[in-house]
Amino acid sequence: MSMKALNQLVARSIIDPSVVNAFSYGDIGAVLSDLDFSSDMRVRLEHLEAGSWAEFATLAYRLVKAAEETVRHVQLPSPLEGLLPGDVRADEQVA
Amino acid sequence: MIPVTKDERQWLLRQLALGLVEYLGVTEPPVPVEQLLRNPPALYDDDFGVVDMFSNLWDATFARPPSQRGSIFVRMDLDKENRRYALARELLSALITSKHGRKMGLSELLLPDLRESAEYFASQLLAPEPLVDAYQAQGGDDAGFANAFMIPAWIAAERWLEAV
Repeated sequence: MSMKALNQLVARSIIDPSVVNAFSYGDIGAVLSDLDFSSDMRVRLEHLEAGSWAEFATLAYRLVKAAEETVRHVQLPSPLEGLLPGDVRADEQVA
Repeated sequence: MIPVTKDERQWLLRQLALGLVEYLGVTEPPVPVEQLLRNPPALYDDDFGVVDMFSNLWDATFARPPSQRGSIFVRMDLDKENRRYALARELLSALITSKHGRKMGLSELLLPDLRESAEYFASQLLAPEPLVDAYQAQGGDDAGFANAFMIPAWIAAERWLEAV
């Protein structure tokens, strides 16, 4: 959900000056709290150091993308494990 | 300025295009890009305009005369599809050089690859992902894509490949 929330935020920023103003005044946390970020992600985004809104958006994209890729990676089964609970590993069959 | 990859730049451009599409409230193609330029969000009142002119040199170009409203100067003899594409492409320059765009810091990220960025932005503005997805979900095919979105055939071919 974080990437969807970030997409919404950046899309909104091109027509809503309040987003960029909040960033400029160091108050982006107030805007982030209205969006569907986890509390951990919100804190990490609030602490990003960026020289401009566009730079913040890019750094936020890196952060959210990396977090979502980590989650996907964790959810993948290991190739060493059988796909079904009763499966026997190939190397055990050979032995 | 931080170094930015092509993927990151394109992601940013997609979101900016989507923001404008959402502002227009578009639910089906074609995206009315000229309407956006003639009736922009209030914060771009001093930045968006369209001026028709004769030219054999280029299809369209954005210019901001000193102390005047920025405008896209577009060849008046372009066909509808190429006119829409040229306006959408030059719209990025209008955004980047606007007061709000400068405040966002868009120029630092997008000016180094302006031509490529503008062409990508235009393809995303005229054929935004939600509308392309809906078109495909309703059984729309590549043969009717350019016509439905009112975009040049070569843009339609590129955009269709991206979306499949």
